Amino acid sequence: MNVVDADGLVKRYRTGDQTLDALAGVDFDLDAGEFVSIMGPSGSGKTTLLNILGLLATPTEGRLRLDGQDVTGLSDRKRTAIRKRTIGFVFQHFYLLPTLTAVENVEVPLLLDQPPGLTKRARSLLERMGLGDRLDHRPDELSGGQKQRVAIARSLINDPKIVLADEPTGNLDSETGRKILDEFQRIADEDDVAIVAVTHDELVNEYVDRTVHLVDGTIGRERKSGG
Amino acid sequence: MAGRYFPAALMARRNLTRTKMRSLLASLGIVIGVIAIASLGMFGVALQYSFTQNLGDIGNQITVSPNAAENVTELTERDVRDIRRVASPTATVAPVKQRVEPVSFDRRTTGRQLVYGVENPAELYEAREGRITEPFRTGALVGANIAEEHDLHPGSTITVNESTVRVRAVLAEGDAFSSLNPDNRILLPASSFQERGYSQVYVIESSGSRANETAMAIRNSLNDRQERVNVMELGSIVDTIEQQFQIINTVLVGIASISLLVAGISILNVMLMSTVERREEIGVLRAVGYQKRDVLKVMLMEATLLGVLGGVAGVVLSLGAGLAINHYTVGDATAVFRMANAWYLGAAFSFGVVTSIVSGLYPAWKAASEEPVEALRG
Repeated sequence: MNVVDADGLVKRYRTGDQTLDALAGVDFDLDAGEFVSIMGPSGSGKTTLLNILGLLATPTEGRLRLDGQDVTGLSDRKRTAIRKRTIGFVFQHFYLLPTLTAVENVEVPLLLDQPPGLTKRARSLLERMGLGDRLDHRPDELSGGQKQRVAIARSLINDPKIVLADEPTGNLDSETGRKILDEFQRIADEDDVAIVAVTHDELVNEYVDRTVHLVDGTIGRERKSGG
Repeated sequence: MAGRYFPAALMARRNLTRTKMRSLLASLGIVIGVIAIASLGMFGVALQYSFTQNLGDIGNQITVSPNAAENVTELTERDVRDIRRVASPTATVAPVKQRVEPVSFDRRTTGRQLVYGVENPAELYEAREGRITEPFRTGALVGANIAEEHDLHPGSTITVNESTVRVRAVLAEGDAFSSLNPDNRILLPASSFQERGYSQVYVIESSGSRANETAMAIRNSLNDRQERVNVMELGSIVDTIEQQFQIINTVLVGIASISLLVAGISILNVMLMSTVERREEIGVLRAVGYQKRDVLKVMLMEATLLGVLGGVAGVVLSLGAGLAINHYTVGDATAVFRMANAWYLGAAFSFGVVTSIVSGLYPAWKAASEEPVEALRG
């Protein structure tokens, strides 16, 4: 079953009497466990698409189903609840909370709910990311690659169906970037988590199942990558 | 703290320690506000207490005098009996006679002076020099001021209505506001008066509220058909004065609250700065599934922590200030541990915390309603 099923997404911004179509009718499907990259020049609408898929923004037109549920036109509160349950985010600038340790940062999405075994799960995720010896370090004591791995562990704490990554390798050197992409590939294969990475980085395409090119808010040619 | 609130408190605490100096300064405002309110409040309590102490027992006293407006010129034996009947068994009821007599202190000049006839002065007064005899049948008692003015001591003689009288005792100074105050009086035995009626009857009860009841009973009993007597009772005056103190205290505390307002603005400022600086972090929280109210909760928790921190420090310092205030005004530092002070401390603490929370509301709301997409744009 498709975890993402988007039909004819349009996002229209109005500035004064001018209208700008950031997305002009995008269809996008995603299977469970699929690793897809979205590429395109700046201003092509990649981030807008990612925000819509992540329920951070709502499409002006079109329909979006996540995990079989129609999420078009839901209230902020309901979208937030679904986001918490089914989506994980990874950002270019990592966005870890500087005051919290690695384990606490991984716990953040569920910190207010405190489900039983939260800390144990956070630790095992970090160990899986090869950070078993950095559990109680603060972000400023970690390298860029380590921070991004903490961020990936954080995106997985809620057992998401989809992980959305915005330029995940953008702030990393290519060697570290490869390690991060290895992690993504492993997560997609082993955990059956669908991953969407918005990127400029050609390196990403060596790892993905499929690349979607966005040009001026529409999908260009699609290309299957050798996975 | 309840499990659900603990994680928010953890995040809030970590955030505050991130900018230690700023957080300390913000709660310093609350500390000052709490101290201002609590110590002014306690100062008022101490003033009121020392005032009541100085007033001494006048709240327990009742003075019954004939009502000249109704042509009553003296109180009779029967009136005195009636007063004794309605007063409580433990009360002192002392009828007093008055007469103007030519009095000479030095055998040469003679002036006319009011003299008082008292049956048993020992139940009303104490002697500073000499002894008040019981029963009081001969001699005279003089007040402290008269004794000083004319250099009188026990054994001195004065002339009253051309007969020589020996001074038996000089009376101790009385309460300034009391109608019993003997300082300027000459007291003679009541038996030396020919008049049968009394000019006044003093009643001393064991407490202010008893005095109030007795005063009403005397009015009911003696002023039944005719307004025969005036009953003056200082207890109600003391009550009025205490009410005035209460008002002054409220005004003082009100002025002190202004400092809390300033503290609130400083917390508002700190929290606003913090939300601007942490815009992206708050955006991430929203992106990973924090509801608006969750963000609100974390931010308000920070404001609450600032308030509680400042409040606790303020209360501790105010207790110190209270010890000093009570040491100097009442002369007893431990007088700070009185209910009224606890009330002011509690009120100051809660005002401090509430001020912080209220000041945190706007920044917290601002942080919570930020669009995560905007916040994460970088």
